Amino acid sequence: MNRKYELVYVVSPDATDAQVGELHTQVEQITQRLGGTIEKTDNWGRRKLAYEIGPHKEGTYVLETLTGGGELMKEIDRRLKVSDLIIRHLIVRIDEEQSVVDRTRTKRTDMSRRRRVARGLPPDRQPGEGQRGDVDDDRDDRFDVTEGLER
Amino acid sequence: MNGKRSFGGGGRSKTGAQGGQQGKDGQRRPMFRRRKVCKFCADKIDDINYKDTKLLMPFVPERAKILPRRISGTCAMHQRKLRTAIMRARQLALIPYTAE
Repeated sequence: MNRKYELVYVVSPDATDAQVGELHTQVEQITQRLGGTIEKTDNWGRRKLAYEIGPHKEGTYVLETLTGGGELMKEIDRRLKVSDLIIRHLIVRIDEEQSVVDRTRTKRTDMSRRRRVARGLPPDRQPGEGQRGDVDDDRDDRFDVTEGLER
Repeated sequence: MNGKRSFGGGGRSKTGAQGGQQGKDGQRRPMFRRRKVCKFCADKIDDINYKDTKLLMPFVPERAKILPRRISGTCAMHQRKLRTAIMRARQLALIPYTAE
């Protein structure tokens, strides 16, 4: 089972850097034990919270990208819930959305390339070529009322 | 040119029925409104991510409520994605639920 997840957790501002590191190693250990891998870790540092959570007004955000199965994430979720130092956490599965995004992106570039080739241009935009005019604008007279304006 | 009476996208241009919407002086003064365009379609933003608060903030004005589609002009698909992104960001206290 290879799924990609994103885990963000907010550590209490009272925690020291060492404690934050310890939490990270804990997550790492669980992932290793349950046959997953951590792909990326990103510490956003201390940020102000948008609203107060209990007594806290700021928190340290840590983002981890990992691959593994659902069981792994369930275990991590359970562990993070129990931990006192963590004030919020969020686990999101990202592989499906990512593939959709990639697909639309490649589709779009393919389409534009095909159109450009059909018009006898090289498939990629040349460096000197500027933005073309707003083609969209001639068709939206249904919505733009241009007469009877107060000048 | 001069037969056009379109009101911000209203379909019934022939029969009129547009008394209430314009000025008090009875003069025909069509409302001028710029056509709204979905920001994400226009800028070709495929990925609406909850971590990107800079992108989300314009859609949660003062009161921190999600800006409705009829005002922002976002298309249905992107509004849906925007909504989940905002809700996730709120859980992580990146965006407020309400303003005091």
